[in-house]
Amino acid sequence: MNATSLSLKLLTRQARSGALIMLFAGLVVATAALAAVSLFTDRVGRALERQAGEVLAADLVVTGRERLPEAYRDKAAELGLDTAEIALLSTVLFVGEESHLVDLKAVTEGYPLRGQLKLADRLGAAEETLAAIPEPGTGWMAARGLSLFETDTGVSVDIGRRPVTVDRVLTWEPDRGGSRFMLAPRLIIHMDDLLESELLGPGSRVRWRLLVAGSESAVAEFRRWVGPRLEERQGIETVAEAEADTGQALEQARRFLGVAALTAVILAAAAVLLAALRFSRSQRDLVALLKAFGAESRQILLALTLLLLWLALTAIALGGLLGFGAQAVIGQILADGPAGELPAARLLPLLGSGGFTLLLAGGFALPPLVALRTVAPMRILNRSLDARPGLAGGLWLLPVLGALTIPVLQLGNLRLAMIVLGGSAALAAVLALAAWLAMGLSRQLSKRTRADWRFGLAGLHRRRGQGIIQITALGLGLMALLLLMIVRAELLEQWRGSLPADTADHFVVNIQPDQTDAVRDALVEAGARNVQVRPMATVNLIEVNGEPPPDHRWAGQVNVSWIDRLPPANRVVEGAFFAPDATGEISLAQRWSERTGIGLGDTMLFEAGSRRFEATVTSMREVEWESFNVNFFILLTPSAGDALPHQFIASFRMPEEAGPLRAVQQGWPNVSIIDIGALLDRVSEIIDRVSRAAQVVFFFTLVAGVVVLLAALEATRDERRQEAALIRALGADDAMVRRGLLIEYGAMAFIAAVLATGGAAITGWLLARELFEFAYRPSALLLTTGFLASFVLVIGSGWLGNRSVLRTSPIRILRAGG
Amino acid sequence: MTQSGKEILSARQVGFSVDAPGGRLDILKDISLDLNGGETLAIVGASGSGKTTLLGLLAGLDRPTSGDIRLIGTELKPLDENARARLRKRHVGFVFQSFHLLPSLTALENVMLALEIAGFEAPRKRALDALDQVGLSHRLEHYPRQLSGGEQQRVAIARAFAGEPEILFADEPTGNLDQRTGESVADLLFELNERHGTALVLVTHDMRLARRCGRVEEIEDGMLAGGEVAVDHA
Repeated sequence: MNATSLSLKLLTRQARSGALIMLFAGLVVATAALAAVSLFTDRVGRALERQAGEVLAADLVVTGRERLPEAYRDKAAELGLDTAEIALLSTVLFVGEESHLVDLKAVTEGYPLRGQLKLADRLGAAEETLAAIPEPGTGWMAARGLSLFETDTGVSVDIGRRPVTVDRVLTWEPDRGGSRFMLAPRLIIHMDDLLESELLGPGSRVRWRLLVAGSESAVAEFRRWVGPRLEERQGIETVAEAEADTGQALEQARRFLGVAALTAVILAAAAVLLAALRFSRSQRDLVALLKAFGAESRQILLALTLLLLWLALTAIALGGLLGFGAQAVIGQILADGPAGELPAARLLPLLGSGGFTLLLAGGFALPPLVALRTVAPMRILNRSLDARPGLAGGLWLLPVLGALTIPVLQLGNLRLAMIVLGGSAALAAVLALAAWLAMGLSRQLSKRTRADWRFGLAGLHRRRGQGIIQITALGLGLMALLLLMIVRAELLEQWRGSLPADTADHFVVNIQPDQTDAVRDALVEAGARNVQVRPMATVNLIEVNGEPPPDHRWAGQVNVSWIDRLPPANRVVEGAFFAPDATGEISLAQRWSERTGIGLGDTMLFEAGSRRFEATVTSMREVEWESFNVNFFILLTPSAGDALPHQFIASFRMPEEAGPLRAVQQGWPNVSIIDIGALLDRVSEIIDRVSRAAQVVFFFTLVAGVVVLLAALEATRDERRQEAALIRALGADDAMVRRGLLIEYGAMAFIAAVLATGGAAITGWLLARELFEFAYRPSALLLTTGFLASFVLVIGSGWLGNRSVLRTSPIRILRAGG
Repeated sequence: MTQSGKEILSARQVGFSVDAPGGRLDILKDISLDLNGGETLAIVGASGSGKTTLLGLLAGLDRPTSGDIRLIGTELKPLDENARARLRKRHVGFVFQSFHLLPSLTALENVMLALEIAGFEAPRKRALDALDQVGLSHRLEHYPRQLSGGEQQRVAIARAFAGEPEILFADEPTGNLDQRTGESVADLLFELNERHGTALVLVTHDMRLARRCGRVEEIEDGMLAGGEVAVDHA
């Protein structure tokens, strides 16, 4: 018999062997997790490629904070290039009592120069491509925007003083870029509407873009011409740069999901190793027999390798299918707008995940099978003549190498891979230590209990090596899922709840000095509370202690304010706050001081227009940034500030309805109202979506954990059946055997659930403390639900894996040789 | 709670067969035997003769495919697995060739477990007494892996006698021990048997051990060889 047919016979005849099934399950889970992530990232990658050249809606874009000079457009026209103009502005829109932040885009004829807009007549209607821009007085809004306002096409919104009717749904715009999951909903209007809206007062926060497209040589010529003429706060974007940006966003998403998939792969690898060791042990008699009958080691080795190959190939097919389904779910969760924006998944990325599965099989399952080569044929006569099975010497290196190589290859980043591996290992070590301690404790407790408890808990203690692996594996999967649930359901909500009742939730920027009092009064009349208005100027930092600032990241333009007394939510930690009539003094926020190294006694030279002034740092402040009041890193004395060209910024709390703010916006169209609440909602939504996508991937981690549990169970099945047969022979009935198993698995489930729930709560608390700076208190409901779900899952899996133990007949005790 | 002289075990035309690929395979055929309280019976036979299967059936670990067995005055045939378990826990003790102690329990706990399953009062005190009787009161907290083969079997004997069963089934009790240890374990077994007046059914292929029993039945091809084997009570 040749090796191929031997391998097929071995595989088909043992297809029902528990160890083989677990080995297969481990390979399937790993493939599915990797396939889901690589299929999804491939789709996003191709969606971006499809837009190549469209990411800018042009071949080149000149950007600026003010409208770009006519001369640029004239030069482009002279070179035979097409041009169009865009103005981008975030603003709050009102429809009835609803107000939401919207990304406004005003465009001129010709937009987009590259790519096309897709539109629908109303929500849910078929999309069509249109080569036009909105007529003046009309606008096209993204579906999500219309949903937020709970309306459909036909609704009228005010852009400053200009009413605009939304007459179409925007389903696709080419220059949305890689931050497709991040932005507020888009509203595209005609440029004339923006120009007439009075939103464009001095200091407005509009970003201007001049789009240019045409022949390659003419674009290059234009670039050479415009480069040296760029003014301050103007820049050039090209397709390559834009793609690099979106590529970076994609890379981050890929890494995040990759890390999630990797935890599933690590656990699956553990399951594969456990199952392979068990399968290898169960094959020793067979191998000894084959050898006694004259089979050569080489032939047996080849047959076993082929067996593993068949198994891996089948797992790749099945895991690929599962991964395919999972990526569709992830795509749905993360899709922004109607499905179908992402290109359909293709099979190519499955080759990559299949390759990983082969690597996993080779690294983790092959070594125990290769070890069978050394089985002595004498075993057939006397088992004790056969050395203990195991992975002698170098064979252990393969799983170790696999464990190190797979993450590096999968994440494509050595440092990140090592962080993930180190992090998982550290977490696993903590869980394992906790499990070990808990098991020791349970054994001590069992000495004071009844027979069924003693039997159950002693079983747990007896197999504590296996138990620790099971608890750790399941604990990791459960903890990851629970933590995501905590972040999604509670952390953000509690953080917002932890803010004081009068915490500012709106800003008004760009208030001109002559508008200050009127705007303040209007805000108060609209019901705003805790209104604080501060002057603000933008100045250049020229020198520190007579030297140019050493770090370009914070040198240059800085925003400053001035005040005659220490502002609320500020505390002086060093020096003394300047007197109201002081001159030449400055107060710095501690956080900025830490970043820049500028401290008490340092002298700073600023420039504003043609004016220069110098001041010395005389106090350092600790600022409660989470108060959301207007706060500044740099505070000047009133005497220095009043002389600067400036505007005002207001922060306030708007209780309940934001509707009355419409009057403020309409009364002073140049000011911009920023709804922090809406921004926070958007951040929550993003975190919610990403968490849900990650949960899909972490689900595989949990399944891998269950496979580890079942594989470990499989490894001790004979021992359990023997024990069950013994206590049956001694007179225990079904109920007692069941109770014993329930107690053993109940204890294991309890430990795993406590560790997972506790671990997730502690991690959530740490996240809250470090990132959000508040004391998170997990809700009893969530923790109880998490605990119960974990408990039921572990006990259920244990029960499932132990069915054959329950059916063990006591006669087995006489037949087992022991 | 021994019942010296009273019928403890009775088998009538017991048969046991299994379905094999070649058809029905008879492992035991037409076995009949009786045992009274305090009596000792050895069942001997070659490997594969069916003696261990017979022991299992007599002890109620499985049900015969034909014939009837009465154990402690109870017909086994109508009883399901749980009912037979209840009968065993109060009236039957076991000693196995491979000792079958639970490796995760100490010597004391192994003995206590059987008593607790049977629902005895003060299991700890009884277990301590039983271990004292087999000379292991200094090994109470040792785990099976810390005990020698002879010591493990003595723990198993203590476990078997601790509940004072009416009948003890021993399956090759010295089979895994060297000759000297085997003899001392056998001495202990018979000594306790006599002291407690327990009936004993012992399966062995060691004729020296078998001859220490009051009666020896030989089993051959699944049938009692007819006529008891001569017993030398010297």
